[in-house]
Amino acid sequence: MNSTEEELVYQLNQPNLRANAFSVIVRTYQERIYWHIRKMILSHEDANDVLQNTFMKAWNGLDGFRGDSQVSTWLYRIATNETLTWLTNKRMRSQNSIDDVEESLLQNLQADTYFNGNEIQLKLQKAILTLPEKQRLVFNMKYFDDITYDEMEAILGTSVGALKASYHYAVKKIEKYLSEVE
Amino acid sequence: MKTNNNILTDEMSKKLPFEVPENYFNEFAHQMDKQIGYNKTIFQKIIRPWMYVAAIFVGIVIMGQLFYTVNQNITARNAQNYESYVLSQVDENSVADLYVDESTK
Repeated sequence: MNSTEEELVYQLNQPNLRANAFSVIVRTYQERIYWHIRKMILSHEDANDVLQNTFMKAWNGLDGFRGDSQVSTWLYRIATNETLTWLTNKRMRSQNSIDDVEESLLQNLQADTYFNGNEIQLKLQKAILTLPEKQRLVFNMKYFDDITYDEMEAILGTSVGALKASYHYAVKKIEKYLSEVE
Repeated sequence: MKTNNNILTDEMSKKLPFEVPENYFNEFAHQMDKQIGYNKTIFQKIIRPWMYVAAIFVGIVIMGQLFYTVNQNITARNAQNYESYVLSQVDENSVADLYVDESTK
């Protein structure tokens, strides 16, 4: 934790400075957290809802944050939980099979005004959607953001070895999917 | 021609194919400020104390004005009462006699 972050954490624990410090945190981390959510949820509107929930959860849970982990790790953890909860709720609402939710995500993506991918990028997104949620999470964090395994361990609470294995299997599955659809 | 097998090693694939509405992050940050009551905090910290001072000042002015007006009325009424009292104590005949005596001297 660097000195700026230490100062922020100190301010978060002062009732009169708390809102100001949190406002700085939102401005500093909103983009990274947004893209983390968006990669899983795909549609902008839904990602926006989850992002709001994430920061409101963080705001309401400030008393529980003592600065034991980095602010970014803490936010990533909340965002990940919120994203997985959103996906679970969507699955429960649809009351259909697991594949249907992924199909629905893909349809939303193709209809989304804010999707500007080419054919290759769309094919890759389809391949990623074939992965189980947790594996998708690991793949997205490593492949697109190149987050270190140590950082991922702190965020996801999974050991580095398991994360490496998960990423390896995810790559294999995606390669297999891509070779089959060729 | 690019085959599906080398999509993952293509740098282009690592770019996210998503966009956000224009000015989205700025607006989001402002929206969050509102939701956590950050603007209210600025109001509480800076504007509200000055509003208290102004309210106290206005209160003092109004009370002063009220006190002054009431005091003026009481003084005027007292003066009026005194004049009536003095006049009531004077006998008109003795005043007339006094004028007659002075004019004949």
